[in-house]
Amino acid sequence: MAANFWTSTHYKQLLDPEEVDVVHPLDRERGVTVEDFKLVKMHMAQYILRLAQHVKVRQRVIATAVTYMRRVYTRKSMSEYDPRLVAPACLYLAAKAEESTVQAKALAFFIRKLYAEEKPRYERYEIKDILEMEMKILEALNYYLVVFHPYRSLTHLLQDAGMDDMTQFTWGLVNDTYKMDLILVHPPHLIALACIYIASVYKDRDTTSWFEELRVDMNVVKNIAVEILDFYENHKLIAEDRVNAVFNKLALKP
Amino acid sequence: MGDGILSSGRGNSSSNRPEWLQQYDLIGKIGEGTYGLVFLARIKPPSANRGKFIAIKKFKQSKDGDGVSPTAIREIMLLREISHENVVKLVNVHINPVDMSLYLAFDFAEHDLYEIIRHHRDKVNQSINPYTVKSLLWQLLNGLNYLHSNWIIHRDLKPSNILVMGEGEEQGVVKIADFGLARVYQAPLKPLSENGVVVTIWYRAPELLLGAKHYTSAVDMWAVGCIFAELLTLKPLFQGQEAKGNPNPFQGDQLDKIFKVLGHPTQEKWPMLVNLPHWQSDLQHIQRRKYDDNALGSVVRLSSKSPAYELLSKMLEYDPQKRITAAQALEHEYFRIEPLPGRNALVPSTPGDRVNYPTRPVDTSTDIEGTTSLQPSQSASSGNAVAGNMAGAHIVTNRSMPRPMHMGGMQRMQAPGMTGYNVNPNAMGGGMNPAGIPMQRGVANQAQQQQLSRRKDPGMGMAGYPPQQKSRRF
Repeated sequence: MAANFWTSTHYKQLLDPEEVDVVHPLDRERGVTVEDFKLVKMHMAQYILRLAQHVKVRQRVIATAVTYMRRVYTRKSMSEYDPRLVAPACLYLAAKAEESTVQAKALAFFIRKLYAEEKPRYERYEIKDILEMEMKILEALNYYLVVFHPYRSLTHLLQDAGMDDMTQFTWGLVNDTYKMDLILVHPPHLIALACIYIASVYKDRDTTSWFEELRVDMNVVKNIAVEILDFYENHKLIAEDRVNAVFNKLALKP
Repeated sequence: MGDGILSSGRGNSSSNRPEWLQQYDLIGKIGEGTYGLVFLARIKPPSANRGKFIAIKKFKQSKDGDGVSPTAIREIMLLREISHENVVKLVNVHINPVDMSLYLAFDFAEHDLYEIIRHHRDKVNQSINPYTVKSLLWQLLNGLNYLHSNWIIHRDLKPSNILVMGEGEEQGVVKIADFGLARVYQAPLKPLSENGVVVTIWYRAPELLLGAKHYTSAVDMWAVGCIFAELLTLKPLFQGQEAKGNPNPFQGDQLDKIFKVLGHPTQEKWPMLVNLPHWQSDLQHIQRRKYDDNALGSVVRLSSKSPAYELLSKMLEYDPQKRITAAQALEHEYFRIEPLPGRNALVPSTPGDRVNYPTRPVDTSTDIEGTTSLQPSQSASSGNAVAGNMAGAHIVTNRSMPRPMHMGGMQRMQAPGMTGYNVNPNAMGGGMNPAGIPMQRGVANQAQQQQLSRRKDPGMGMAGYPPQQKSRRF
C-alpha cells in the first residue's frame, strides 16, 4: 500500500491517455476543446506552483496538489468546478495530506495577493469557498489521497546510474512533467526514467547498458520522453490570452 | 466505496440531516472523543449489506476554521489504501456540506481489549484464558506486521484501539483501529507534540519518553508488549502519572514506572541512550533512583524461562534497534506451543472457558446532529441539543422504540465515580439521556459486523485524565 506502488490505489487508478483527454460534456457544450482543456490544466498547475511558493511548501506538496487537480478533471467539469478555486483547494488539501498543513487564512491572503499583482481574471475566492471546495474535491477524488511521485525513484536511479551530477537538471524535468497529465497515466518510476533518458541524450551520456539492465520496457520510457520533448516544443510559454479565452468560454452559457 | 453510495447531498429544507443518512438506521451513539462522535447504525434495505451493523465516526469541523481536520484526512488516506483481516475496514465516507462535517463508516466491532480486560478484572474476576491471550496477541501482531511491512506506524496502540469482532462470521477476530495518528514513515516523521497531538503515555516507548525525535515501528512493538502484559495481569503495566504542560513535558514518572520494573537502561545495553535529549539534560533527575533489578517476571507472574516471558521481554527491550519486530514475534516459540492461537480468539477449544463479553452500550438519545455545530450558518434550532435529540428520537422511533432501561445494559454502565470523565460540553449538555438507555439487547446480540474506534479524548481538559479513561460514558 502506502510504500508499495504496485498495490496502491494510485496504481489501480492509472488511466489510458484517451481517458484523460476527454472534455467533460458540460465543458464541450461551451466550446471547450481538448487543447483548451490541457491548456487550462497546465495554467492551473503553474498557478498552484506560484501559490505554493508563497505559502512555502515542499515540492512534494505541489506535485500532490497538481495530481489532485488533474484527477478531479477526469471526473468533473470545469464549468461546475471552477479551476481557479479547485487549484488552491487542491493545494490546501495536499498540504494536509502531506503533513505540511497550510492555514486557509494564509492561502486566502496569497490568493488575494496574486490577484492584486496579476490578472484580474481571478475570482475573489474567500476562505469559506476554499473549505467548501476541499470537501467537494475529497469526494471527487473518491477519497483516494495517496500519490506516488517520480522524485524518490529519481534520486535512487540517478545514484544507481552514477549520474548524481544530473540531479538538478532531471529534477527540473520531473517538475515540468506536472504540466502534463503523465502522472495520471504512467507509473512514477517510468516518468523518472524518461527524464533520466532525456538528460542522458541531452548531455551526451551513454546510459544504454544501464537502461538495458533495468529490465523495463524501453519503448514506454522512450514514448514518455518523446511526450515530454513534444511538450517543450509546443508550449514554450503559456499564452495568457488563450487561457483567458477558455475561461470566457467556460463562463458563457451555451 | 466507489460503488455510487458516496454522497454529499444537502439536507432538505426542514433539517440539516444529510441525505446519505437515509441508507442507514441510526441506532445511537457509542463513543466520543476530540475528533467528534461515533454512532452505531445499520444498513437498510435495499442494500445487499442490509442488516449489517456499522460504526459511523463523525469528525467535527476543526475548531480553527480550517476545514476537514488533518487527522481525518490522514486517517482516510491510510484506510483507503490498506486491507487486512486484522485491520479495521473502512466501508464508506460521507460528507455533509451543510455543516462541513465528515463521516467515516466502518464495520462495527462489538468488543475491544479495553472492555475485555475490564470485564475480566472488574466483573468476572478471573484472568483471560491463555488461548484467548495468545490468539489476541497473534492477530494483533499479524495486523501490525502488515502495517509495518507497508511502512505504516500506528503510533497510538492501546487496548481501546484494538477491537474484537462480536458474534458472526468474524467472531473473535482482532481489528486494529484508529489510524488518526498513523503515518507512512518513508519520510522522517515530526514528533507528535509538534503537531499538537497528545497521546496516552502508558504505552509510550522509552526512546520517545527520553526525547527521541523520530518514530520507528519499534514504538508500536513497545506498546504491544505493554498490552501483552496487561492481557496477562489485567492491569496496565506502566501506569505513570502524566505530567501536564506545554508543549511536551518530560514524563519523568512514566519513565520511573518503567525503570522500576525493567531496571535502569545502561549504555552498554543501549548505546544510543546517551544521545537522547532527556537522558542528557535530566540525567540527575532520571537517575535519582537506581533500579537495577529486572522485576518483569514477578510483575507479570511468568517464569523467566517461559516462552511467553521470553517474548514479552523482547518486546520490552530498551534499545529500539534490538526490540523484536512484529514479523519476528509471529515466529516466536510462544506461538508454536499449546494452546495454539486461533482465528476466533473469544471461543477457546474448551467450551467451559468461554466468557460472554458485554456488548457496547448505545446512547439512543443522541442524534447524528447531536453535537453542536460550529457552523454559524446552521439554524439555531437545529444546532441545539434539544432539537438534536428530537431528531434522534424520531429516527429511533422508526426502527424500534427505545425501551425503558434494560438491566442487562447496566453492566456496561460506568462506575459512578467515573462519570465526570466524559462530560462533553457540546454533545452531552442537557440532552444527555438521563436514564442511559442502552441499545436493546436483542439488537446488540445480533451484531454481526463491527468496528469502531474511539480514541480517548486527551483534549477535553480533564484533570487527572488517565489514558485508559473511556470518554464515552452514558
